[in-house]
Amino acid sequence: MAEYIIRRTLQMIVVFFIFLVSSYLLFNAIPGNAFQNLLLNPDLPPDAYEKVLKTYGLDKPIMERVQLYVVNFFKGDFGYSYKYYPKTPIELIAERLPRTLMLFAIVNIVAFYTGFLVGKVLAWRRGSKSETWITVTSVFSYTVFYPWFALMMLWFFGYKMGWFPIGKFLYPEKWYDAPWDSDVIFVLMIKFTVIISVIQFMAYLLTRGIESLTQRRNIRFGSLIAIFIGSYLFWNTGDALTKKPYAADIAYHMILPVVVVTIVAFAGTALLTRTTMVEVIKEDYILTARAKGLSQKRIRDRHAARTALLPVVTSFIFTIVTIIDGSVLTETIFSWPGMGQLLLQSVLEEDIPVAMATFSFVGIFALIAHLVADISYSYLDPRIRIKSQG
Amino acid sequence: MGKEVLVVDKLNMHYETLDGPVAAVKDVSFVLNEGESFGLVGESGCGKTSVAMSLLQLQADNAKISSGSIKLEGKELVGMTENELRTVRWDGISIVFQGAMNAWNPVAKIGEQIREAIREHRPDNTKQENTQKIEELFNIVGLDNSIMDRYPHELSGGMKQRAIIALALSCDPKVVIADEPTTALDVVIQDQILKELKKVQNLLGLSLIYISHDIAVIAEMTDNMAVMYAGSVVEMGPTANIFNKPKHAYTRLLLESTPSVVGKRKKLRSLDGEPPSLINENKGCSFSPRCPEPSKECKNQELDMKLVEISKGHWADLCCVSCG
Ligand SMILES: Nc1ncnc2c1ncn2[C@@H]1O[C@H](COP(=O)(O)OP(=O)(O)OP(=O)(O)O)[C@@H](O)[C@H]1O
Ligand code: SF4
Ligand SMILES: [Mg+2]
Repeated sequence: MAEYIIRRTLQMIVVFFIFLVSSYLLFNAIPGNAFQNLLLNPDLPPDAYEKVLKTYGLDKPIMERVQLYVVNFFKGDFGYSYKYYPKTPIELIAERLPRTLMLFAIVNIVAFYTGFLVGKVLAWRRGSKSETWITVTSVFSYTVFYPWFALMMLWFFGYKMGWFPIGKFLYPEKWYDAPWDSDVIFVLMIKFTVIISVIQFMAYLLTRGIESLTQRRNIRFGSLIAIFIGSYLFWNTGDALTKKPYAADIAYHMILPVVVVTIVAFAGTALLTRTTMVEVIKEDYILTARAKGLSQKRIRDRHAARTALLPVVTSFIFTIVTIIDGSVLTETIFSWPGMGQLLLQSVLEEDIPVAMATFSFVGIFALIAHLVADISYSYLDPRIRIKSQG
Repeated sequence: MGKEVLVVDKLNMHYETLDGPVAAVKDVSFVLNEGESFGLVGESGCGKTSVAMSLLQLQADNAKISSGSIKLEGKELVGMTENELRTVRWDGISIVFQGAMNAWNPVAKIGEQIREAIREHRPDNTKQENTQKIEELFNIVGLDNSIMDRYPHELSGGMKQRAIIALALSCDPKVVIADEPTTALDVVIQDQILKELKKVQNLLGLSLIYISHDIAVIAEMTDNMAVMYAGSVVEMGPTANIFNKPKHAYTRLLLESTPSVVGKRKKLRSLDGEPPSLINENKGCSFSPRCPEPSKECKNQELDMKLVEISKGHWADLCCVSCG
């Protein structure tokens, strides 16, 4: 396994290198020599002018420039933002990434769970009236023109009903005298989410060996309650207590985008789960499970859905890759200042170093997601063995 | 012979199809005694699997038991709710399915899948007890304990089948149904599995229903047997009796079309024609269109299909009995 991961990582580096060179050449092909943009800025101090010229090798021929860029990239030097000089692209990304991650991690988790749940119930109730209606609804939300739908929801719930804020990720007036930057709060929220997920997952793993099903269920339920109490204590004591109102403000702003994107995103998972599971239900081992006298729920979850999970997880991991490019639309519609907006802005404003860095980030993300997909697939399906030579 | 474990009485089951109801099980009655092995034989499509599925009430969604009774140790199974049936399944009656190759869930370990069945019916067992039970079962069917942690795709067909038998025995069921348990295996392995099953049956005193289209296997495996044709039992009785004195023309033909394992060599006969459609209700002998030597009366019989006792415990279809 370790050998496989190393091999794949080496392959990924090669692929990434090709990706990097091609993106550089593509940006270079933009008419009007975008790379020179910064130099045209009359406010640029002469020493910065020299520095930029040298960092990017802007007076050198193209091949040398590519070489310089790639070498700098692997050294961890991404240059400076043309727009926000002297900020580096990394600083900009570091500021934006938590906001995007927070929003889309939650959307994806919620969408996956609801999608999987809806899909498996649909397959199980095949032929019933409710199945037809939910399937039709899912197909609608799967095929609806997303920007239109998002704007309609924004208009209705944000403007007409006034339940949710229209756009932005916080109320600026609330944050006017805030002792922290919004990033601090975002990072805290992300940490919190990750930690409770890990605890819940560990509780699940540890209880797997317990023979009595009732006992297993009770312990899992107990751990859930413990997590609730723990979170309550966490947010009501010490440092977190003072941060709570700000975190709540961000959470409030997140509700509408999370709901809207979830509605659009869950349907794909639901329909795929339904399709695979309808096939799985015909398998002989489902009949065996029924003959064993297992409960309907256990047959559905442990036998039918468990096998149907394989293609669903793969497809899901690949859609994670689209988080960042998909976020361009969402973040624009909901005025959410995340990675998507950064990407869009930097391209429009020809802020090449930032655009390049953002693209590279998406590229790395995609490559890692593929690797994760392969590895998790081999864990989910014992028939697929990752051979060290394979 | 022990007491009666399973009593099936005038069981009728049909499949609802677009062309009308397909009567797959017609007035089937038989008794399975404790520790006995009962054979069900007939050509493909005669309704053997339908009988087996009706016993566990695991029929396809379009199947319906229209009348009859199935009593397991005196308890009526027909008309039970799904939850009541769940307690009967595997604990009361377990089954080795036809084509059991695919009976294992590909993504769970063999041991885990057996454990799951025991856990369902013996919720108070400890992990240790269950592991021990599975090891015992593996020992009985001739499997290594390490199989427990293997996935189905890591086993050969024969091993999977042995494991399936272990699975079927895991809750010490009162009745085990084996529906053509060897069809997917090669001949050598088939023989091994049969021997294993026979051994296990004797060892544990299983009450076994053995289903096969191969009358020679039935001869080897069973004490009593029933011959099915087009959904009905046409002849039933002690296996030895039926082999020595087959009464029904269909049984005779089945025997003559099978290479003999016991007795002298003889010329094989082939069985021509197709079984009748099960959609239409036919009166009289359903075998008459294919019968090689029907007498005059057979053709225009109006008698209902009905079994009569011709010697002690040996029953045959009234039509065939009356036309000689
Ligand atoms: N779900 C179903 N819907 C309609 N007809 C069915 C269904 N299942 C089986 N049948 C029909 O019922 C009849 C009996 O089938 P069954 O599977 O019980 O036969 P069998 O004796 O087990 O045959 P084989 O030796 O091939 O397994 C067949 O004619 C078959 O076509
Ligand atoms: S009843 Fe007549 S037609 Fe039918 S099997 Fe017997 S001999 Fe043949
Ligand atoms: Mg069958």
